[in-house]
Amino acid sequence: MSRWRAYRVALSTEGGKLRSSRVVQTTALMLTAGVALLCAAMTHAIASGDPVVVAKFGPVVAAGGWHGYLSGAAQVTAVASMLGFGVALAWTFGREFADGTVTGLFALPIGRRTLASAKLSAYAAWAAMVSVALMVVLVIVGFALGLGLPGADVGVQVVRQVGLALLTAALAVPAGWAATVGRGVLAGIGATVALVVAAAVAELGGVGAWFPFAAPGIWATSASTELFQPVSPVQLALVLPVAAAFGLLTVRSWDRLQLDR
Amino acid sequence: MAEPASAEHRLEAVGLTRLFRGGVGVHKVDLTVAAGEIHALVGLNGAGKSTLMRLLLGMLTPEAGSVLIDGRDLRSAPSEVWARVGHLVEYPLAYGELTSRGNLVLGARLHGVPDADVAGVVESAIDELALRPFADVRARVLSLGNRQRLGLASALQHRPNLIVLDEPTNALDPAGIIRLRGALLDRARSDGAGILVSSHHLDEVARIADRITVLSDGRVIGALDPRGVDIERAFFDLVLADTTEAA
Repeated sequence: MSRWRAYRVALSTEGGKLRSSRVVQTTALMLTAGVALLCAAMTHAIASGDPVVVAKFGPVVAAGGWHGYLSGAAQVTAVASMLGFGVALAWTFGREFADGTVTGLFALPIGRRTLASAKLSAYAAWAAMVSVALMVVLVIVGFALGLGLPGADVGVQVVRQVGLALLTAALAVPAGWAATVGRGVLAGIGATVALVVAAAVAELGGVGAWFPFAAPGIWATSASTELFQPVSPVQLALVLPVAAAFGLLTVRSWDRLQLDR
Repeated sequence: MAEPASAEHRLEAVGLTRLFRGGVGVHKVDLTVAAGEIHALVGLNGAGKSTLMRLLLGMLTPEAGSVLIDGRDLRSAPSEVWARVGHLVEYPLAYGELTSRGNLVLGARLHGVPDADVAGVVESAIDELALRPFADVRARVLSLGNRQRLGLASALQHRPNLIVLDEPTNALDPAGIIRLRGALLDRARSDGAGILVSSHHLDEVARIADRITVLSDGRVIGALDPRGVDIERAFFDLVLADTTEAA
């Protein structure tokens, strides 16, 4: 079997598993409709004028309109997407151990390195679709809330919102590696929660812009109308080598996998 | 029973050793499976059958020894060699979110069956293991026995020439066991497949095996004659003698 055919078969296999998975379907629903619903509720609560609610969401969100609505969406997305994408990746890799199907992925003409690469590719395609779908749903809900036609300055927030979801999807890759090393879904979910906590600590410590797991969230929730303020393109770009490194680690772990525990 | 000297080995393990903490594992096991032969591996729970099968299929790396599949070292065997291997070790390759047919399609493609042949291969497998009533049922709602049937169908459908099955009759009802026996005899006699089957049900094994090797404490301690009068007694005599000697 040629390498290309092996990869094509592995990709279609992994894509089929993702499409059929209730876990992944539910995660996609939570990351699109769930996030949009939360943002709609947030906007509605602020419109009610309750000072406690207004204080809770901060001045930018409290300002209302498309600007406030999308700022609120970015705050929710920064945490929800890391958790959602992390769960999807933890399931993608960890379920093979939890369900015992990993034994069937040995002794095949398609190597485990190819299978792991295909898992990551299928996940990347799914995450990209979810990221774009979230933006589309947010815009539809924004119109439904009666926010009117968005101004030109909203364009920056739209780019940030999609960018945030895509970068967070990349940053969730360690969950796949953790699920592999930990031989189960829970290890991947645990790693995801640890990353969310680490990002919050880095942000509170004032070093978040240089911490790849926190930088996209700080960038997307900024009130600045400048696209690359307060996080620079270099700081955002650090996400890519981090995601690539964990992707390679995951593929390497599958290549060297031993069922010795 | 002595192995034919001229036999073409589908599988050959030499000096296979892998020890875990506490000394359990597999010690210097030599094992062959000839073309057209059904070789049964029997032993009590914890004898090392599953560990040995994991070593034979590359799921574990041995500390010493080697494994040849169709004469090729397992560590460097090309995809063409693996495409002719079918196995079921511990858990069936059955994803709960897919139907039985969907799982078989997945299994056929992963085993290198050309796209044009997949549908035919899958339908034959459904008939062979009597999975037709469950063909469009998601695997997660299948009974344990039907999931096992599905896993066996997935392991056998691409007509491999080396078949490795760990406790394949687990959870199978008598009808399923008869189906499995028929499928294995067909693969061995018609395709010349070499088959290694582990079991602790001596009667089931005896009905189809050409050779029976007894494993105890991770070592090969002897062989049984599948056509013997009371192989269960012979098995326990072997194990008891080995245990007494070790003490």
